[in-house]
Amino acid sequence: MSAFFATYGSMLAEAIGVHILYVLASVAIGFVLGLALGVLLSRVPQWSAVLIPVMSIFQTIPGLVFIGVLFIWIGMRPATVIIALSIYAMFPVLKNTYTGILGVEPKYVEAAKGCGMSPLQTLWRVELPLAMPTIIAGLRMAAIYTVSWTVLAAMIGLGGLGNFVYQGVSSNNNTLIIAGAIPAAVLAIVIGALIDLLQRKVTPRGMKKEVGR
Amino acid sequence: MIQFEHVCKRYGKTTILEDLSFTIPDGQFVVLIGPSGCGKTTTMKMINRLLEPDGGKVLIDGKDAASMDRVELRRHIGYVIQQIGLFPNMTVAQNISVVPRLLKYDRERCDRIVHELLEMVEMPYDRYAGKYPNELSGGQQQRIGVLRALAASPPVVLMDEPFGALDPMTREVLQDEVKKLQLKLHKTIVFVTHDMGEALKMADTILFMSGGRIEQIASPEKMLENPASDLVRSFLGKHVTESGAVARIETFMRTNAYRVRKDRGVLECAEMMARNSVDTLLVTDEAEHYLGIVTIRGIKLWGKGLPNIETLIVQTPHVARIGDEAKESVDYLLESGDDYVVVLNADDTIAGIVTKTSVAKSVATTLWGDER
Repeated sequence: MSAFFATYGSMLAEAIGVHILYVLASVAIGFVLGLALGVLLSRVPQWSAVLIPVMSIFQTIPGLVFIGVLFIWIGMRPATVIIALSIYAMFPVLKNTYTGILGVEPKYVEAAKGCGMSPLQTLWRVELPLAMPTIIAGLRMAAIYTVSWTVLAAMIGLGGLGNFVYQGVSSNNNTLIIAGAIPAAVLAIVIGALIDLLQRKVTPRGMKKEVGR
Repeated sequence: MIQFEHVCKRYGKTTILEDLSFTIPDGQFVVLIGPSGCGKTTTMKMINRLLEPDGGKVLIDGKDAASMDRVELRRHIGYVIQQIGLFPNMTVAQNISVVPRLLKYDRERCDRIVHELLEMVEMPYDRYAGKYPNELSGGQQQRIGVLRALAASPPVVLMDEPFGALDPMTREVLQDEVKKLQLKLHKTIVFVTHDMGEALKMADTILFMSGGRIEQIASPEKMLENPASDLVRSFLGKHVTESGAVARIETFMRTNAYRVRKDRGVLECAEMMARNSVDTLLVTDEAEHYLGIVTIRGIKLWGKGLPNIETLIVQTPHVARIGDEAKESVDYLLESGDDYVVVLNADDTIAGIVTKTSVAKSVATTLWGDER
C-alpha cells in the first residue's frame, strides 16, 4: 500500500486535482447554460414540445463518441473535454429548470402579475425561487454524472482519474483501476453531499415542506 | 371611477361578455354575482388588465385602461385571489411589502406599512412578521392576502371570491373585517362571489350577471324588494319571501299555540295555563273549529263553580286567515297592543298564531339569513 503511494501518490493527487477542475468547470458552464435555456424554454412552452425530445435524443449519443468527434474537430485540448462535459451537464439542469418553472402553481404567477410584477420580476422573485429546489436537484444530478463522465477525458490523453482506469485496463492492473475508481466514487458522494447542504441552506423555511415533492 | 363601455369578450366562438356597460363610482363596494360562467371573474380581470376586452373600453378615472402601462396599472390596483397565493418563499412582512417594494418605497416606509397593516388586523408584528405563509392558518393567510392588496394604498381593490376557501366561521369574521376596512379607508372594492348572503352583507351595489350580460344592478335593499328576474329571485332564495314583495301571514306564524276543547273543566284549563306559562287558550268545538279564547282573567272572575269553559269563551276583535297579507295583522298587533292574532285555515280550524315575537324573528331571518 505504502509502496503504491510512493510510486503513484503524486500522480494520483494530480489526477484528482485535474478531475475536480474538469468537473467544476464543466458543471459551472453547464449549469449556467442549462438555467438560461431552461428559463427561455419555459417562456415558450409550445416550442419545448419539439425541442426537449430532440435534445433527449442528442443526450443518448454516448459521451465517448461525442468526445471523439470534438477531438477530431478541436484537437487535444482541455477545451474539448470541457465543452463535451458542459453540454452533458447542461441537460439535467435544463430539464429541471423547465419542469420546475412550469410546475410553479398558477396561483403564485397570477398573484405576482396582479401585484404588478413585470414578467422579469415574476421570474426573478417568484418563479425561480419556487423552482429552485427542482433546479438544484438537476444540478446535483449533473454534478454526479459529470464526475463519472470526466473519466473519459483520459481517452484523449487529457488526464484526470481516467488515466488510472485506462492504464489499469490496458496493462491488466486491477490496483490501478481501483486507484482511479475509488477517488471518483468518493468525489461523487462528496459533491452530492455538498449540494444537499446547499439545497438546505438556500431553501427558505416557508418552502421546507415542499422539498422533494 | 371605473367605467365599462360596450365591453365584449370572446374565447374562440363562445361569447363570454356581450356589450357590457356600467359605471362604478369611487368608494363603492360593488359585488359581482351570478351563476358560474356568467363572466363575473372575466369582467373583474379586465379592470387590472389580466384580460383584455375584444371590443369596447374599460375606463379608469376617465382614462382608457388599454392606454396605460399594464404593470404600472396593476401596482395601483389591489388584487386578492381565492387561492390566497401568498408567496411561500417570502415571510409575512415580505409578502405584505411586495407592491411597496415594486414601487421602490424605501425600507423604512415598507416597514412602517407592515407595522400599521398588521396592527389593523390585530396580528402583532413581533409574532407574525417573520413567519412564513405555511406557518399560518387559512384565515390568517387570507388576512395577509388582503393586507398585501392594501399595502400601497391603492384606490381600487379587486377581490376574486376571496373567502371561498375558508370555513364559514372564519369567512364571517373576515367579511366583517373587510367591510370595516372599506368603511374606514373608503376604497372602491370590486368583489366577485357566488354567495348571495355574502353579497347582501357586503355590497353597496350588487351587479347581477348572467350569460355575459347584466341582469340587474341594484342596492341589496332594492334587489330584495324587486328582483329583476326569476334567476335573480332564485339566487336571493331564502333571503326574500316566496311571493315577492307581498308577505303572507303564514310567514310570521307559529303553530304551537295552546288549544282546548270547549267541554273541558275550568280548573283543568287554569292548570294548563300555569303549566305552560300562558294567559290564554284557544277554544275549539268537537270538530276542531275555532270558537274563541279563554283568558286567565275570565277564569278568575267568573270561573268558580262552572262545569266547563264554554260560557267563558270570548271573541277576539281581529282574526286572520291563511293567505291574508301580513301587513294588516302586523299593523293590528302594533296598534292595538294585543299580544297575538289568531290565524285560521279556510275550514275554520286553527292554523296558528302570530305574536310580536314571531314577527320579529322572521323579519330577522329575512334580513340576516337563517343563522342556524
